[in-house]
Amino acid sequence: MNDHQGASQRLQQIIPPGIVVAFSLWIAFVSFNVDDPQPYLFPRLISIALVGLSVLALIRAFLGKDNVGEGFTKTKLKNVAAGVAVMGLFVFFLAEFLGFYTASALTFLVIVSLYDPASHFEIQTWVKRIGVMIGFTAVMYGLFTLLLKVQIPKGLLL
Amino acid sequence: MEFVSYFGAVFSPFPFLILIIGTVGGLILGATPGLSPTMAVALLIPFTFQMEPAHGLILLGAAYTSSVAGGAVSAILLRIPGAPANIATALDGYAMAQKGEAAKALQMCFVSSAVGGVVGILVLIFLTPVLAAWALGFGPSHLFWIAILGVTVIATLDSNSVVKGLLSGCIGLWISTIGLDSIQGVERFTFSEHLDGGIHVIAALIGLFAIPQVVEMLEIGRNKKIMTLMNTAQHSVVDSILEVLGKVRALFIGSTVGVIIGLIPGAGGQIAGIISYDQTRKFSPNRERFGSGESEGVVAAESANNAMVGPSLVPLLTLSVPGSPTAAVLLGGLLIHGIFPGPDLFTKHADVAWTFIDSMLVGQILMLVFGLYIARLAAKIILVPPPILASGILILAVFGSYSVQHSISDVLVMLTLGLGMYCLEKFGYTAAPLVLGIILGPIAESNYVQGRIIAQAGDGMISYFLTGPLNVTLYVLCLASIGYSIVMEVRTRRQQTAVTENEVGEEPA
Repeated sequence: MNDHQGASQRLQQIIPPGIVVAFSLWIAFVSFNVDDPQPYLFPRLISIALVGLSVLALIRAFLGKDNVGEGFTKTKLKNVAAGVAVMGLFVFFLAEFLGFYTASALTFLVIVSLYDPASHFEIQTWVKRIGVMIGFTAVMYGLFTLLLKVQIPKGLLL
Repeated sequence: MEFVSYFGAVFSPFPFLILIIGTVGGLILGATPGLSPTMAVALLIPFTFQMEPAHGLILLGAAYTSSVAGGAVSAILLRIPGAPANIATALDGYAMAQKGEAAKALQMCFVSSAVGGVVGILVLIFLTPVLAAWALGFGPSHLFWIAILGVTVIATLDSNSVVKGLLSGCIGLWISTIGLDSIQGVERFTFSEHLDGGIHVIAALIGLFAIPQVVEMLEIGRNKKIMTLMNTAQHSVVDSILEVLGKVRALFIGSTVGVIIGLIPGAGGQIAGIISYDQTRKFSPNRERFGSGESEGVVAAESANNAMVGPSLVPLLTLSVPGSPTAAVLLGGLLIHGIFPGPDLFTKHADVAWTFIDSMLVGQILMLVFGLYIARLAAKIILVPPPILASGILILAVFGSYSVQHSISDVLVMLTLGLGMYCLEKFGYTAAPLVLGIILGPIAESNYVQGRIIAQAGDGMISYFLTGPLNVTLYVLCLASIGYSIVMEVRTRRQQTAVTENEVGEEPA
């Protein structure tokens, strides 16, 4: 590991406890600044532990003593970015707008197509992908709508 | 011998059918690389909502048991352990497969899993009522410390960093306070309308265990993951059974180590398998053959990781302290059915508790039967491409979390927590303590508030929470688990530093 990578790794290790310290201080502030303390008795207790532990984690990260976990690499972030964006789009927008089944079928097809190493320019590949998507959606319909009788939300479509 | 009278309930047509489905499903899910037993059980919880509590628990228990054993399929055929519990199995199992003994290794693994599993469930049957009867006299201060102990033990033993493990546990405890306060109905820490009702434990479980694995599967991008499956030529089942039963030393060490490790909250099947493998090698006259296809190694590892399953449920069913991350998910499954595990489980819900335990015993036999015959089928299923698996799990997680309360808020919470956990896992934070904090938070809070009221009417907080033999024992155990983990962490770091220095020293100038 060169110096640049080492510094990047150290910085990456500092960010999460830094965020947790800020968050813990906010929880402590809210818990100790209320008119009626009764509902916040337990959160107060937790906030004390959270502040103490997060500060300790931050100090250890600064000292480079808690380098557990592989951190992020540019390649991995690039690889997952598209998939995570599709997940977010599906859950936060498409599911309610289009309906769960339509949105999930689309999401399934898009994620499989984005990550399937097979060529996008062969008809066979698309027949296989669409076939698997239809089969999977049918199984989900059978499980949740027919078997479990869950009222799955409908949007513009199913 | 109360448990004998509930076998009838297990063998009724519907529960028995559920048991078969749970066993076969668990074997397949366990065999699939990337699907841990914990995630498999978490994804199955929504399917139990409409079932009677006993039936729902039968499904979850069967999936738990058989997914641990099923993980050996990919360990043997691909050298990719289906679960951490199968790491030791891969050492000799894969070497056996390379020598053309894949079918024999698979059969031996299921026979030894069944033997270890039966021993573990018998320990569960005979130890649980004794511990439950003793725990009946626990008051709020004890229950508060037990909840804290549950979080502390998993946070320290299931994590590579004590500080990060404890921090994860505290974050989980804080998440459990989001929403309406249970006593006065005051809103706490609700940032948006989606959090008004708090965070549902099942949505959190699904998100925290499933989503990070989904994103991890996408990390390889469009690169093709080349997996070569070993040939599984036929082998006589009877010969495999006789050979396993002849390996008394490995079975004895495996089952004993598995039972002991299972009883320690936080220590999981991974530790059981590795310790048992190591001890069996030490006592074996063929120790030099370990690692190059010695069947005794497979027997030791597999009997241990399944012997761990039953005892890991003892602290869960008696004290509400899960012995493993999967037991923590089972705790969520119990709570969703209105069953609060603890000292009075065997008085208030004896039918549910015993039917569940008996089903796990019967499940060991079913796992053996199906394991022996569908391992070859499972071997084909484990080659499902990661993009299909990832999309499938994502959509199952979305539908499963929605079906908890028919609320889109649960789906949003599930995905947000899951993506957050993926980021945290990259820096050594683990999901198990966070989940346990979410599950045990309400138990800790209600007992803390009750304890405060009792303490204010009596001798004060310090006297009520910090004195008395049981209180002292419990918080000393909390401190001991932290202390032990710190010592282990320091020792591991020193060893790693020594290895790195040696490697640097050996590099040519």
